Amino acid sequence: MNKRYIFTFSPDIVNRPIVSEIAKHYDVMVNILNADVTSGREGKLVVELEGADGNIVQSLEYAKEAGVECVPLEKQLQFDQDQCVACGSCTAVCFSGALMMDADSWELLFDPEKCVVCGRCVKACPLQLFRIAMEE
Amino acid sequence: MAVKKSYDEINEKIRKGQAVVVTAEEVSQMALECDPGEIARKVDVVTTATFGPMCSSGAFINFGHYDPPIRMEEVLLNDVPAYAGLAAVDAYIGATAESKYNETYGGAHVIEELIEGKEIRLKAKARGTDCYPTKEVETIVNKELVNEFFLFNPRNAYQNYAAAVNSLGHTIYTYMGSLLPRFGNATYSTSGELSPLLNDPDFRTVGIGTRIFLGGAQGFVSWYGTQFNTSKQKNIYGVPTSNAGTLSVIGDAKQMHTRYIKAAYMERYGVTLFVGIGIPIPVLDEELARSVSIRNEHIETTVLDYGRSEKPIVGTATYAMLRSGTIEINGKKVKTAPVSSLLRAREIAGELKQWIQGGQFEITKPIEHFPTHTHVKGLKRQ
Ligand code: SF4
Ligand code: SF4
Repeated sequence: MNKRYIFTFSPDIVNRPIVSEIAKHYDVMVNILNADVTSGREGKLVVELEGADGNIVQSLEYAKEAGVECVPLEKQLQFDQDQCVACGSCTAVCFSGALMMDADSWELLFDPEKCVVCGRCVKACPLQLFRIAMEE
Repeated sequence: MAVKKSYDEINEKIRKGQAVVVTAEEVSQMALECDPGEIARKVDVVTTATFGPMCSSGAFINFGHYDPPIRMEEVLLNDVPAYAGLAAVDAYIGATAESKYNETYGGAHVIEELIEGKEIRLKAKARGTDCYPTKEVETIVNKELVNEFFLFNPRNAYQNYAAAVNSLGHTIYTYMGSLLPRFGNATYSTSGELSPLLNDPDFRTVGIGTRIFLGGAQGFVSWYGTQFNTSKQKNIYGVPTSNAGTLSVIGDAKQMHTRYIKAAYMERYGVTLFVGIGIPIPVLDEELARSVSIRNEHIETTVLDYGRSEKPIVGTATYAMLRSGTIEINGKKVKTAPVSSLLRAREIAGELKQWIQGGQFEITKPIEHFPTHTHVKGLKRQ
Protein backbone atom coordinates (compact mmCIF):
# COMPACT_ATOMS: atom_id res chain seq x y z
CA MET A 1 0.00 0.00 0.00
CA ASN A 2 1.39 3.41 -1.01
CA LYS A 3 0.09 6.60 0.51
CA ARG A 4 1.19 10.20 0.16
CA TYR A 5 1.18 12.68 2.99
CA ILE A 6 2.29 16.20 3.67
CA PHE A 7 4.28 16.28 6.92
CA THR A 8 4.57 19.69 8.53
CA PHE A 9 7.20 20.09 11.22
CA SER A 10 6.96 23.02 13.62
CA PRO A 11 10.30 24.82 14.12
CA ASP A 12 10.97 23.12 17.50
CA ILE A 13 10.93 19.59 16.08
CA VAL A 14 12.35 20.29 12.67
CA ASN A 15 15.70 18.80 13.63
CA ARG A 16 14.41 15.50 15.08
CA PRO A 17 14.97 12.42 12.88
CA ILE A 18 11.29 11.44 12.97
CA VAL A 19 11.18 10.19 9.42
CA SER A 20 14.03 7.76 9.88
CA GLU A 21 12.51 6.57 13.18
CA ILE A 22 9.27 5.73 11.37
CA ALA A 23 11.17 3.73 8.82
CA LYS A 24 13.11 1.86 11.51
CA HIS A 25 10.34 1.05 14.00
CA TYR A 26 7.33 0.35 11.80
CA ASP A 27 8.75 -1.33 8.74
CA VAL A 28 7.47 1.48 6.53
CA MET A 29 9.45 2.73 3.56
CA VAL A 30 9.53 6.51 3.49
CA ASN A 31 10.13 8.09 0.15
CA ILE A 32 10.63 11.83 0.39
CA LEU A 33 9.10 13.34 -2.73
CA ASN A 34 9.71 16.94 -1.93
CA ALA A 35 10.65 19.51 0.62
CA ASP A 36 8.54 22.59 0.05
CA VAL A 37 10.99 25.45 -0.15
CA THR A 38 8.44 28.24 -0.11
CA SER A 39 7.17 27.56 3.38
CA GLY A 40 10.29 29.01 4.96
CA ARG A 41 10.62 28.58 8.70
CA GLU A 42 8.57 25.47 9.32
CA GLY A 43 9.60 22.27 7.60
CA LYS A 44 7.34 20.70 5.04
CA LEU A 45 7.87 17.32 3.43
CA VAL A 46 5.85 15.48 0.88
CA VAL A 47 6.34 11.79 1.61
CA GLU A 48 5.15 8.54 0.20
CA LEU A 49 4.73 5.78 2.78
CA GLU A 50 4.98 2.22 1.59
CA GLY A 51 4.15 -0.74 3.80
CA ALA A 52 1.31 -2.74 5.38
CA ASP A 53 -1.78 -0.63 6.14
CA GLY A 54 -1.55 -1.33 9.88
CA ASN A 55 2.05 -0.28 9.98
CA ILE A 56 1.32 2.93 8.13
CA VAL A 57 -1.46 3.81 10.57
CA GLN A 58 0.85 3.15 13.53
CA SER A 59 3.69 5.14 12.00
CA LEU A 60 1.39 8.10 11.43
CA GLU A 61 0.25 7.96 15.02
CA TYR A 62 3.86 8.01 16.11
CA ALA A 63 4.58 11.01 13.91
CA LYS A 64 1.54 12.90 15.18
CA GLU A 65 2.54 12.12 18.76
CA ALA A 66 5.92 13.65 18.02
CA GLY A 67 4.20 16.85 16.88
CA VAL A 68 4.18 16.38 13.12
CA GLU A 69 1.07 17.44 11.31
CA CYS A 70 0.19 14.67 8.80
CA VAL A 71 -2.23 15.52 6.04
CA PRO A 72 -3.03 12.91 3.43
CA LEU A 73 -2.32 14.09 -0.07
CA GLU A 74 -5.46 13.10 -1.88
CA LYS A 75 -5.24 15.68 -4.55
CA GLN A 76 -3.28 15.16 -7.68
CA LEU A 77 -2.27 17.46 -10.46
CA GLN A 78 -3.43 16.50 -13.91
CA PHE A 79 -1.57 17.97 -16.85
CA ASP A 80 -2.53 17.83 -20.51
CA GLN A 81 1.09 18.01 -21.66
CA ASP A 82 0.37 17.34 -25.35
CA GLN A 83 -1.16 20.80 -25.70
CA CYS A 84 1.73 22.60 -24.03
CA VAL A 85 3.37 25.35 -26.11
CA ALA A 86 6.29 25.72 -23.68
CA CYS A 87 5.57 29.37 -22.97
CA GLY A 88 6.99 28.95 -19.47
CA SER A 89 4.31 30.88 -17.57
CA CYS A 90 3.71 27.98 -15.18
CA THR A 91 7.38 27.83 -14.22
CA ALA A 92 7.10 31.37 -12.88
CA VAL A 93 4.99 30.14 -9.98
CA CYS A 94 6.25 26.60 -9.38
CA PHE A 95 8.81 26.55 -6.58
CA SER A 96 8.90 22.83 -5.91
CA GLY A 97 10.90 22.12 -9.05
CA ALA A 98 8.07 20.11 -10.59
CA LEU A 99 7.82 22.49 -13.54
CA MET A 100 11.03 23.75 -15.08
CA MET A 101 12.27 24.90 -18.45
CA ASP A 102 15.09 22.86 -19.92
CA ALA A 103 17.89 25.41 -20.20
CA ASP A 104 19.01 24.13 -23.62
CA SER A 105 15.94 22.94 -25.46
CA TRP A 106 13.50 25.30 -23.68
CA GLU A 107 10.98 22.53 -23.45
CA LEU A 108 8.85 22.34 -20.36
CA LEU A 109 9.95 19.58 -18.00
CA PHE A 110 7.30 18.18 -15.64
CA ASP A 111 8.24 15.95 -12.75
CA PRO A 112 5.04 14.88 -10.96
CA GLU A 113 7.08 13.40 -8.09
CA LYS A 114 8.12 16.88 -7.05
CA CYS A 115 4.64 18.40 -7.21
CA VAL A 116 3.23 19.53 -3.87
CA VAL A 117 -0.16 20.31 -5.43
CA CYS A 118 -0.07 23.96 -4.45
CA GLY A 119 -2.30 24.73 -7.42
CA ARG A 120 -0.55 27.89 -8.55
CA CYS A 121 0.16 26.56 -12.04
CA VAL A 122 -3.57 25.97 -12.57
CA LYS A 123 -4.12 29.71 -12.72
CA ALA A 124 -0.80 30.54 -14.34
CA CYS A 125 -1.16 28.41 -17.48
CA PRO A 126 -2.75 30.53 -20.24
CA LEU A 127 -3.97 27.38 -21.97
CA GLN A 128 -5.57 25.95 -18.81
CA LEU A 129 -3.70 22.67 -19.11
CA PHE A 130 -3.61 21.88 -15.38
CA ARG A 131 -6.37 20.55 -13.20
CA ILE A 132 -6.40 19.43 -9.61
CA ALA A 133 -8.22 16.17 -9.26
CA MET A 134 -9.06 14.13 -6.20
CA GLU A 135 -7.48 10.70 -6.09
CA GLU A 136 -9.87 7.78 -5.91
CA MET B 1 36.43 44.69 -50.37
CA ALA B 2 33.23 45.54 -48.57
CA VAL B 3 30.39 43.15 -49.28
CA LYS B 4 27.22 44.52 -50.89
CA LYS B 5 24.37 42.29 -51.94
CA SER B 6 21.06 43.28 -53.47
CA TYR B 7 17.64 41.78 -52.81
CA ASP B 8 17.60 40.59 -56.42
CA GLU B 9 20.92 38.81 -56.08
CA ILE B 10 19.76 37.02 -52.96
CA ASN B 11 16.44 36.08 -54.56
CA GLU B 12 18.28 34.76 -57.57
CA LYS B 13 20.21 32.46 -55.23
CA ILE B 14 16.98 31.46 -53.45
CA ARG B 15 15.41 30.50 -56.78
CA LYS B 16 18.43 28.39 -57.64
CA GLY B 17 18.36 26.76 -54.22
CA GLN B 18 21.81 28.18 -53.46
CA ALA B 19 21.02 30.72 -50.77
CA VAL B 20 22.78 30.27 -47.45
CA VAL B 21 20.14 30.63 -44.76
CA VAL B 22 20.76 30.38 -41.03
CA THR B 23 18.68 31.24 -37.99
CA ALA B 24 19.47 34.26 -35.83
CA GLU B 25 20.71 31.94 -33.09
CA GLU B 26 22.98 30.12 -35.50
CA VAL B 27 24.46 33.34 -36.83
CA SER B 28 25.08 34.56 -33.28
CA GLN B 29 27.10 31.40 -32.70
CA MET B 30 28.98 31.89 -35.98
CA ALA B 31 29.83 35.41 -34.89
CA LEU B 32 31.91 34.02 -32.02
CA GLU B 33 34.42 32.95 -34.66
CA CYS B 34 33.73 35.05 -37.76
CA ASP B 35 33.86 38.79 -38.17
CA PRO B 36 30.95 40.68 -39.77
CA GLY B 37 32.71 40.79 -43.13
CA GLU B 38 32.99 37.02 -43.23
CA ILE B 39 29.36 36.59 -42.16
CA ALA B 40 28.21 39.04 -44.83
CA ARG B 41 30.12 37.02 -47.43
CA LYS B 42 28.92 33.61 -46.22
CA VAL B 43 25.31 34.20 -45.17
CA ASP B 44 22.49 35.47 -47.38
CA VAL B 45 19.47 35.38 -45.10
CA VAL B 46 18.97 35.12 -41.34
CA THR B 47 15.63 33.92 -40.01
CA THR B 48 14.19 35.41 -36.83
CA ALA B 49 11.04 34.46 -34.96
CA THR B 50 8.78 34.93 -31.99
CA PHE B 51 5.82 33.08 -30.53
CA GLY B 52 4.07 34.92 -27.75
CA PRO B 53 0.79 36.41 -26.57
CA MET B 54 -0.04 39.43 -28.74
CA CYS B 55 -3.27 41.04 -27.62
CA SER B 56 -3.47 43.56 -30.44
CA SER B 57 -4.54 40.98 -33.01
CA GLY B 58 -7.71 40.14 -34.84
CA ALA B 59 -9.27 39.11 -38.13
CA PHE B 60 -11.49 40.49 -40.83
CA ILE B 61 -14.22 38.21 -42.09
CA ASN B 62 -16.62 38.66 -44.96
CA PHE B 63 -19.60 36.36 -44.43
CA GLY B 64 -21.15 36.65 -47.89
CA HIS B 65 -24.52 38.14 -48.70
CA TYR B 66 -27.74 36.75 -47.38
CA ASP B 67 -30.99 36.59 -49.33
CA PRO B 68 -32.79 38.96 -48.79
CA PRO B 69 -29.72 41.03 -47.87
CA ILE B 70 -28.79 42.27 -44.42
CA ARG B 71 -26.47 45.08 -43.40
CA MET B 72 -25.11 43.59 -40.20
CA GLU B 73 -24.88 46.02 -37.31
CA GLU B 74 -24.42 43.66 -34.41
CA VAL B 75 -22.41 40.52 -34.99
CA LEU B 76 -21.80 37.70 -32.53
CA LEU B 77 -19.50 34.76 -33.25
CA ASN B 78 -20.06 32.03 -30.66
CA ASP B 79 -21.47 34.87 -28.55
CA VAL B 80 -18.30 36.95 -28.91
CA PRO B 81 -19.07 40.42 -30.27
CA ALA B 82 -17.29 41.40 -33.49
CA TYR B 83 -17.10 44.94 -34.84
CA ALA B 84 -19.54 45.43 -37.69
CA GLY B 85 -19.45 49.15 -38.31
CA LEU B 86 -18.39 48.43 -41.88
CA ALA B 87 -20.14 47.57 -45.11
CA ALA B 88 -22.89 45.02 -45.05
CA VAL B 89 -21.28 41.68 -44.28
CA ASP B 90 -17.77 42.60 -43.17
CA ALA B 91 -16.75 42.30 -39.53
CA TYR B 92 -13.59 42.46 -37.46
CA ILE B 93 -13.19 40.03 -34.62
CA GLY B 94 -10.65 41.23 -32.07
CA ALA B 95 -8.60 38.69 -30.14
CA THR B 96 -9.44 40.10 -26.71
CA ALA B 97 -13.22 40.43 -27.19
CA GLU B 98 -14.98 38.24 -24.62
CA SER B 99 -18.00 36.05 -24.95
CA LYS B 100 -21.10 37.56 -23.37
CA TYR B 101 -21.45 34.50 -21.19
CA ASN B 102 -17.93 33.20 -20.52
CA GLU B 103 -15.00 35.47 -19.76
CA THR B 104 -12.46 32.76 -20.52
CA TYR B 105 -13.64 32.42 -24.14
CA GLY B 106 -13.14 35.16 -26.68
CA GLY B 107 -12.21 36.39 -30.13
CA ALA B 108 -8.90 34.56 -30.00
CA HIS B 109 -10.75 31.26 -29.56
CA VAL B 110 -13.09 32.06 -32.44
CA ILE B 111 -10.07 32.78 -34.67
CA GLU B 112 -8.29 29.59 -33.61
CA GLU B 113 -11.39 27.46 -34.14
CA LEU B 114 -12.06 28.97 -37.56
CA ILE B 115 -8.46 28.26 -38.59
CA GLU B 116 -8.87 24.71 -37.33
CA GLY B 117 -11.88 24.33 -39.64
CA LYS B 118 -14.49 24.25 -36.89
CA GLU B 119 -17.98 25.65 -37.20
CA ILE B 120 -18.90 28.88 -35.47
CA ARG B 121 -22.40 30.16 -34.71
CA LEU B 122 -23.02 33.56 -36.31
CA LYS B 123 -25.77 35.81 -35.00
CA ALA B 124 -26.29 39.10 -36.79
CA LYS B 125 -28.79 41.87 -36.23
CA ALA B 126 -29.69 44.94 -38.25
CA ARG B 127 -32.33 47.61 -38.27
CA GLY B 128 -33.43 46.82 -41.80
CA THR B 129 -33.30 49.25 -44.73
CA ASP B 130 -34.87 49.40 -48.17
CA CYS B 131 -31.87 47.79 -49.81
CA TYR B 132 -31.01 45.54 -46.82
CA PRO B 133 -34.39 44.44 -45.45
CA THR B 134 -33.33 41.46 -43.30
CA LYS B 135 -33.16 42.24 -39.58
CA GLU B 136 -31.82 39.07 -38.11
CA VAL B 137 -29.73 36.10 -39.21
CA GLU B 138 -28.62 33.12 -37.22
CA THR B 139 -26.50 30.52 -38.94
CA ILE B 140 -23.31 28.48 -38.96
CA VAL B 141 -20.08 29.58 -40.64
CA ASN B 142 -16.65 28.05 -41.10
CA LYS B 143 -13.58 29.09 -43.06
CA GLU B 144 -14.78 27.39 -46.23
CA LEU B 145 -18.20 29.06 -46.10
CA VAL B 146 -17.00 32.64 -45.59
CA ASN B 147 -15.41 34.70 -48.37
CA GLU B 148 -12.31 36.28 -46.86
CA PHE B 149 -10.84 35.51 -43.47
CA PHE B 150 -7.57 37.31 -42.91
CA LEU B 151 -5.62 38.21 -39.85
CA PHE B 152 -4.88 41.90 -39.49
CA ASN B 153 -2.97 42.63 -36.31
CA PRO B 154 -2.30 46.30 -35.58
CA ARG B 155 0.51 45.70 -33.07
CA ASN B 156 2.69 42.60 -32.98
CA ALA B 157 6.31 41.58 -32.56
CA TYR B 158 7.48 44.20 -30.09
CA GLN B 159 11.14 45.01 -30.65
CA ASN B 160 11.88 44.49 -26.98
CA TYR B 161 9.65 44.16 -23.98
CA ALA B 162 10.19 45.05 -20.35
CA ALA B 163 10.36 42.24 -17.80
CA ALA B 164 7.82 42.31 -14.98
CA VAL B 165 7.95 41.99 -11.19
CA ASN B 166 5.53 42.80 -8.37
CA SER B 167 6.44 44.67 -5.18
CA LEU B 168 3.03 44.31 -3.54
CA GLY B 169 2.18 41.94 -0.71
CA HIS B 170 -0.16 39.83 -2.81
CA THR B 171 -0.05 38.02 -6.16
CA ILE B 172 -1.19 40.04 -9.16
CA TYR B 173 -2.48 38.46 -12.36
CA THR B 174 -1.28 40.29 -15.47
CA TYR B 175 -0.69 39.77 -19.18
CA MET B 176 2.87 39.01 -18.06
CA GLY B 177 1.54 36.07 -16.04
CA SER B 178 1.08 35.55 -12.30
CA LEU B 179 3.46 37.89 -10.49
CA LEU B 180 4.15 36.70 -6.98
CA PRO B 181 4.29 39.10 -4.02
CA ARG B 182 7.44 40.94 -2.86
CA PHE B 183 9.47 40.31 -6.02
CA GLY B 184 8.70 36.58 -5.81
CA ASN B 185 9.37 36.13 -9.53
CA ALA B 186 10.10 37.99 -12.74
CA THR B 187 8.66 37.25 -16.16
CA TYR B 188 9.88 38.27 -19.61
CA SER B 189 8.47 37.98 -23.09
CA THR B 190 10.94 38.22 -25.94
CA SER B 191 12.84 35.56 -27.80
CA GLY B 192 16.05 37.57 -27.25
CA GLU B 193 18.67 37.14 -29.95
CA LEU B 194 16.08 35.30 -32.08
CA SER B 195 13.57 38.13 -31.85
CA PRO B 196 12.78 39.72 -35.25
CA LEU B 197 13.13 43.43 -34.64
CA LEU B 198 16.19 43.09 -32.40
CA ASN B 199 18.09 41.73 -35.40
CA ASP B 200 17.33 44.72 -37.59
CA PRO B 201 17.10 47.44 -34.96
CA ASP B 202 17.06 50.33 -37.45
CA PHE B 203 14.46 48.73 -39.75
CA ARG B 204 16.74 48.69 -42.75
CA THR B 205 15.16 45.57 -44.25
CA VAL B 206 11.86 45.27 -42.39
CA GLY B 207 9.33 47.78 -43.69
CA ILE B 208 6.00 48.09 -45.41
CA GLY B 209 5.45 45.13 -47.72
CA THR B 210 8.00 42.76 -46.17
CA ARG B 211 6.98 39.15 -46.71
CA ILE B 212 6.94 37.23 -43.44
CA PHE B 213 5.90 33.97 -41.79
CA LEU B 214 2.59 34.63 -40.05
CA GLY B 215 0.79 31.89 -38.19
CA GLY B 216 2.16 29.13 -40.40
CA ALA B 217 1.46 30.86 -43.72
CA GLN B 218 3.03 33.65 -45.73
CA GLY B 219 1.95 37.06 -44.57
CA PHE B 220 3.13 40.62 -44.90
CA VAL B 221 4.10 43.62 -42.86
CA SER B 222 1.26 45.99 -43.67
CA TRP B 223 2.42 49.05 -41.76
CA TYR B 224 4.46 49.98 -38.72
CA GLY B 225 2.62 48.84 -35.63
CA THR B 226 0.65 51.04 -33.30
CA GLN B 227 2.69 52.67 -30.53
CA PHE B 228 5.72 52.42 -32.84
CA ASN B 229 8.43 54.24 -30.94
CA THR B 230 11.86 55.12 -32.27
CA SER B 231 12.79 57.42 -29.41
CA LYS B 232 13.56 54.72 -26.84
CA GLN B 233 17.08 54.65 -25.49
CA LYS B 234 19.48 52.29 -27.27
CA ASN B 235 22.44 50.56 -25.70
CA ILE B 236 26.00 50.43 -27.07
CA TYR B 237 25.04 47.49 -29.30
CA GLY B 238 22.37 49.62 -30.96
CA VAL B 239 19.28 47.89 -29.58
CA PRO B 240 16.56 49.64 -27.60
CA THR B 241 16.42 48.69 -23.93
CA SER B 242 12.63 48.59 -23.64
CA ASN B 243 9.43 48.39 -25.73
CA ALA B 244 10.19 50.24 -28.98
CA GLY B 245 9.32 49.26 -32.55
CA THR B 246 6.21 47.23 -33.43
CA LEU B 247 4.67 45.76 -36.59
CA SER B 248 1.25 45.71 -38.10
CA VAL B 249 0.88 42.46 -40.01
CA ILE B 250 -1.59 40.86 -42.38
CA GLY B 251 -2.09 37.40 -43.79
CA ASP B 252 -4.60 34.85 -45.07
CA ALA B 253 -5.90 33.09 -41.95
CA LYS B 254 -7.42 30.31 -44.05
CA GLN B 255 -3.91 29.05 -44.71
CA MET B 256 -2.65 29.39 -41.16
CA HIS B 257 -2.17 26.63 -38.65
CA THR B 258 -3.29 26.39 -35.04
CA ARG B 259 0.21 25.27 -34.11
CA TYR B 260 1.22 28.90 -34.63
CA ILE B 261 -2.00 30.71 -33.72
CA LYS B 262 -3.26 29.76 -30.30
CA ALA B 263 -5.94 31.27 -28.10
CA ALA B 264 -5.14 31.84 -24.44
CA TYR B 265 -6.80 33.09 -21.30
CA MET B 266 -4.73 34.86 -18.72
CA GLU B 267 -6.14 34.56 -15.22
CA ARG B 268 -8.02 37.72 -14.21
CA TYR B 269 -6.65 39.54 -17.25
CA GLY B 270 -8.57 38.12 -20.13
CA VAL B 271 -8.33 36.51 -23.51
CA THR B 272 -5.33 36.91 -25.78
CA LEU B 273 -3.78 35.26 -28.80
CA PHE B 274 -0.42 33.56 -29.17
CA VAL B 275 0.88 34.58 -32.58
CA GLY B 276 3.82 32.99 -34.36
CA ILE B 277 5.83 35.37 -36.53
CA GLY B 278 9.00 34.73 -38.49
CA ILE B 279 10.91 37.42 -40.38
CA PRO B 280 13.81 36.94 -42.79
CA ILE B 281 16.61 39.48 -42.57
CA PRO B 282 18.71 39.64 -45.74
CA VAL B 283 22.40 40.13 -44.97
CA LEU B 284 23.01 42.90 -47.51
CA ASP B 285 26.24 44.18 -46.01
CA GLU B 286 28.56 44.10 -43.03
CA GLU B 287 26.43 46.40 -40.98
CA LEU B 288 23.48 44.02 -41.19
CA ALA B 289 25.82 41.13 -40.50
CA ARG B 290 26.77 42.90 -37.29
CA SER B 291 23.11 43.51 -36.36
CA VAL B 292 22.05 39.89 -36.81
CA SER B 293 25.04 38.67 -34.82
CA ILE B 294 23.73 40.18 -31.61
CA ARG B 295 23.72 37.84 -28.62
CA ASN B 296 21.53 37.58 -25.52
CA GLU B 297 24.22 39.12 -23.33
CA HIS B 298 24.09 42.25 -25.51
CA ILE B 299 20.34 42.72 -25.31
CA GLU B 300 19.15 44.49 -22.21
CA THR B 301 15.66 45.17 -21.05
CA THR B 302 14.21 47.16 -18.19
CA VAL B 303 12.45 45.45 -15.30
CA LEU B 304 9.19 47.15 -14.31
CA ASP B 305 7.19 46.90 -11.10
CA TYR B 306 3.69 45.92 -12.23
CA GLY B 307 2.50 46.23 -8.65
CA ARG B 308 2.35 50.00 -9.05
CA SER B 309 0.19 51.69 -11.63
CA GLU B 310 2.97 53.93 -12.94
CA LYS B 311 5.16 50.81 -13.37
CA PRO B 312 8.46 52.27 -12.14
CA ILE B 313 11.73 50.82 -13.41
CA VAL B 314 13.31 48.68 -10.70
CA GLY B 315 16.26 47.34 -12.63
CA THR B 316 17.67 46.13 -15.91
CA ALA B 317 18.71 42.67 -17.07
CA THR B 318 20.14 41.12 -20.20
CA TYR B 319 18.40 38.21 -21.87
CA ALA B 320 21.36 36.06 -20.92
CA MET B 321 20.60 36.84 -17.27
CA LEU B 322 16.86 36.39 -17.68
CA ARG B 323 17.42 33.00 -19.29
CA SER B 324 19.81 31.89 -16.54
CA GLY B 325 16.86 31.42 -14.16
CA THR B 326 17.57 34.23 -11.70
CA ILE B 327 18.19 37.95 -11.82
CA GLU B 328 19.01 40.33 -9.02
CA ILE B 329 16.62 43.11 -8.05
CA ASN B 330 17.65 45.42 -5.22
CA GLY B 331 20.19 42.84 -4.07
CA LYS B 332 17.59 40.07 -3.95
CA LYS B 333 17.75 36.97 -6.15
CA VAL B 334 14.54 36.69 -8.16
CA LYS B 335 13.45 33.60 -10.10
CA THR B 336 12.77 34.31 -13.77
CA ALA B 337 10.41 32.68 -16.24
CA PRO B 338 9.44 33.39 -19.84
CA VAL B 339 5.87 33.93 -21.00
CA SER B 340 6.59 33.49 -24.70
CA SER B 341 7.80 30.21 -26.16
CA LEU B 342 11.39 30.07 -27.31
CA LEU B 343 10.85 26.45 -28.29
CA ARG B 344 8.15 27.35 -30.78
CA ALA B 345 9.98 30.48 -31.94
CA ARG B 346 12.94 28.26 -32.82
CA GLU B 347 10.62 25.96 -34.69
CA ILE B 348 9.30 28.91 -36.71
CA ALA B 349 12.80 30.19 -37.49
CA GLY B 350 13.68 26.67 -38.65
CA GLU B 351 10.53 26.37 -40.74
CA LEU B 352 11.10 29.72 -42.43
CA LYS B 353 14.71 28.74 -43.11
CA GLN B 354 13.46 25.63 -44.90
CA TRP B 355 10.94 27.59 -46.93
CA ILE B 356 13.68 29.92 -48.13
CA GLN B 357 16.17 27.13 -48.77
CA GLY B 358 13.47 25.28 -50.71
CA GLY B 359 12.85 28.29 -52.94
CA GLN B 360 9.24 28.70 -51.75
CA PHE B 361 9.79 32.01 -50.03
CA GLU B 362 11.56 35.03 -51.46
CA ILE B 363 12.67 38.08 -49.59
CA THR B 364 11.13 41.47 -50.29
CA LYS B 365 12.56 44.92 -50.34
CA PRO B 366 10.34 47.22 -48.27
CA ILE B 367 8.03 49.27 -50.46
CA GLU B 368 8.46 52.05 -47.95
CA HIS B 369 10.56 52.39 -44.81
CA PHE B 370 9.10 53.09 -41.40
CA PRO B 371 9.22 56.57 -39.92
CA THR B 372 12.46 57.33 -38.11
CA HIS B 373 11.35 59.86 -35.50
CA THR B 374 8.32 58.76 -33.58
CA HIS B 375 7.33 58.78 -29.96
CA VAL B 376 4.25 57.58 -28.14
CA LYS B 377 1.71 59.92 -26.62
CA GLY B 378 -0.50 59.18 -23.65
CA LEU B 379 -4.19 60.03 -23.37
CA LYS B 380 -4.90 63.26 -21.55
CA ARG B 381 -8.03 64.38 -19.81
CA GLN B 382 -9.06 67.60 -21.62
S1 SF4 C 1 0.69 22.34 -8.30
FE1 SF4 C 1 1.79 23.17 -10.05
S2 SF4 C 1 2.89 24.93 -9.26
FE2 SF4 C 1 2.29 23.70 -7.48
S3 SF4 C 1 4.02 22.33 -7.14
FE3 SF4 C 1 2.63 21.22 -8.47
S4 SF4 C 1 3.37 21.66 -10.50
FE4 SF4 C 1 4.31 23.18 -9.17
S1 SF4 D 1 1.98 27.59 -18.82
FE1 SF4 D 1 0.88 25.94 -19.85
S2 SF4 D 1 1.43 26.13 -22.03
FE2 SF4 D 1 2.89 27.37 -20.87
S3 SF4 D 1 4.63 26.00 -20.49
FE3 SF4 D 1 3.29 25.80 -18.72
S4 SF4 D 1 1.93 24.10 -19.22
FE4 SF4 D 1 2.91 24.72 -21.13
